[in-house]
Amino acid sequence: MRVNPNPLPDLLSALEQTQQQINTDEQQVASGQSVNVPSDNPANAAMLVQNANQTAETDQYLRSIGSIQGEMQNADSTLSSVVTVLQRAISLGTEGANGTNNVSDRQAIANELEGIQSQLVGLANLSYQGNYVFAGTATQTAPYVLDANSPSGVDYVGNSETNQIAVGDNLNVQTNLPGSELFSNSGNDVFQAIQDLITSLQSGTNISGAVGEVSSAYNYINTQRVFYGNAIDQLNTQQTYLNSETTQLAQQQTNLGGTNLPQAITNLESSETADQATLEVISQTQQNNLFSYLGR
Amino acid sequence: MSSLNASLATALSGLQAEQGALEATTNNVANANTPGYSREVPVLETSDPVTIGSLTFGTGVTLESIESIRDPILESQIQQETQTQGQLNSLVSALQQTQTTFSSTTGDIGTAISNFFSSINQLATSPADLSLRQGVLTAADNLASAFNAAANNLTEQRTNLDDSVEQTVGQINQLTGQIAQLNGQINQAENAGGTGGTLIDQRTELIDQLSSLVDVSVIPTGNTLTLTTAAGTALVAGQQSFQLSTQTNSSGEQDVYSGSTDITSTIVSGQLGGILQARDQQIPSLQNQLDTLAAGLANAVNGVQTAGYDLNGAQGTDLFAPPPGGGAGAAASMSVAITDPSLIAASSDGTSGDNSNANAMYALSNQAIVDGQSPSDYYSGIVFNVGNAVSNATAEQSASNLMLQQLDDQRSAVSGVSLNEEAANMIQYQQAYAASAQVITAINDMMYDVINMTTLTT
Repeated sequence: MRVNPNPLPDLLSALEQTQQQINTDEQQVASGQSVNVPSDNPANAAMLVQNANQTAETDQYLRSIGSIQGEMQNADSTLSSVVTVLQRAISLGTEGANGTNNVSDRQAIANELEGIQSQLVGLANLSYQGNYVFAGTATQTAPYVLDANSPSGVDYVGNSETNQIAVGDNLNVQTNLPGSELFSNSGNDVFQAIQDLITSLQSGTNISGAVGEVSSAYNYINTQRVFYGNAIDQLNTQQTYLNSETTQLAQQQTNLGGTNLPQAITNLESSETADQATLEVISQTQQNNLFSYLGR
Repeated sequence: MSSLNASLATALSGLQAEQGALEATTNNVANANTPGYSREVPVLETSDPVTIGSLTFGTGVTLESIESIRDPILESQIQQETQTQGQLNSLVSALQQTQTTFSSTTGDIGTAISNFFSSINQLATSPADLSLRQGVLTAADNLASAFNAAANNLTEQRTNLDDSVEQTVGQINQLTGQIAQLNGQINQAENAGGTGGTLIDQRTELIDQLSSLVDVSVIPTGNTLTLTTAAGTALVAGQQSFQLSTQTNSSGEQDVYSGSTDITSTIVSGQLGGILQARDQQIPSLQNQLDTLAAGLANAVNGVQTAGYDLNGAQGTDLFAPPPGGGAGAAASMSVAITDPSLIAASSDGTSGDNSNANAMYALSNQAIVDGQSPSDYYSGIVFNVGNAVSNATAEQSASNLMLQQLDDQRSAVSGVSLNEEAANMIQYQQAYAASAQVITAINDMMYDVINMTTLTT
């Protein structure tokens, strides 16, 4: 049986393969990626695309949460100021209800209350990064304008719409409370209450009734603040969840497409050894044949 | 009773036969590294004996022929495998180029899609903010650019493959011409009583080269060979070669013709088969998927955009230029139709601070807007398809290479020149030659004796 008298092509082909393996291992070590092109691992490459998409989504949700937290915290602290102002109004009103006051005393209190009314309008017209926060969705115009002809002394020119925003795959949060619900809710209109207190001080009648109106407006605002408190809590919780999602997604990315560096370096070393061995075999395969022994 | 002259003739035949046999050895050694060379073996036959009276005398040895040792079945298998290898080589090469377009980089389509939807979610936090609106336009531009670039890469690849079609057809024609010529020479040699010998080796080598280019069927016909494609189109018949040509088709690409028949779809193997498969099936399929994604995205976004109201309270207009009907070319032509950021329709009721339409646009990222899948799911499907095609073709290529290597080893075992063998043969023939020469010398002495038998010595 004849054997193949020319083994060199096979050896060269083996050399090519060891070279190819070295190239692959080097690339994995250098890039830190085991999936550099889709064919390296098609299924993982596809999952890496989705992983990248989810990571980008999560990052964006975190960014949006940051933006809304800023606005909500501003709104909440503004409401805190409103509450403080209303407390002042109540104590003024209580003072005015004291029978020892005369007309000019009551007028003085009424004047201070007018100042408080303006203050409240200013607070209700809070603007954060170019948007009026309590205007519903008509955010480009100040929601409250002074109007001497209006029974409450102000007009609400915003709307009663609310916005939502997606901060998670199945999580939308409401981002605003319109002034129509917060400050000029019929039955709990804070401006109407202040106006009524001013009027009653000026006329001297039913001051304690008016003070009661301001008190219930004060209570109402306090209850409404809960919305912001809850929303901020919810956003914080979601933020924590998304942060841990980010870590998990990063871990998944490494699992799918990262190089196990110690393993890859070991592979590279053994590939280089195999290559070296093949080279030595080729060089040792001297084509000794009978002709060299015929002494010619 | 024999004669000295007869003995001389017999010994002489030995000299000539051994010398002729040595020719074969010499040729083998000279061609030890010639690709496709089949070793030659001298066929020595005893010459017909003569009978004189009751004695039969041999008349020496004849060098009947010098045969090339080759295995036609092996050669046929090698040709088949060469075709497969040629096809896989060009297919893998084309697909590997294609998949770089879909590898993850900072500018790839997957990233651009994510960034686009991120910009919309950000817009929803403050829909009247002009810089956020501009952010959406920029992200939309980047998305369109990513699609344009990918589509252009695929088109460019198709063009390159198209050029290769023409080149390969040229090479095929050259080879078939040479084979036809060799057929003529071989025919002549065999009609004159000889064998084709090394001419047949040359022809086999050319057929192997042709096999790597196109699928070839070899049919021995009488003294010669007929070559056709696997589908039966004639390439070579005897001394005649049938040239293939290319014609531009309605898509501006080259179709392969034999005479006036379009044979493009019948070529399935060899380099040409691989090129055509990549150009006419694999890449168009990818272009199709890309277009489906681009059109699906553009149409869905436009649908939401036109259902809402922009910053000025007017009804929204298309964000992306409407893709071509049917979708073909959607990726190459994708562009943003809006330059004024206030025209983005974030609002559902015309109020500038309402973000419901922006929310609806963001929600598209997880809706089945592209052939029943979300955009990023569909894109990940494309990535998988490309990677899988390359991975499968590469695996087949490795298997084919291994098979071809084994077949080549077998052919080498049958037909390869072993220098050890040739050296041993050389010793053999040389010694036999020397022995015959000694015999001739002895006969010469005997003749001298005869001639000088009756010389008187004085």
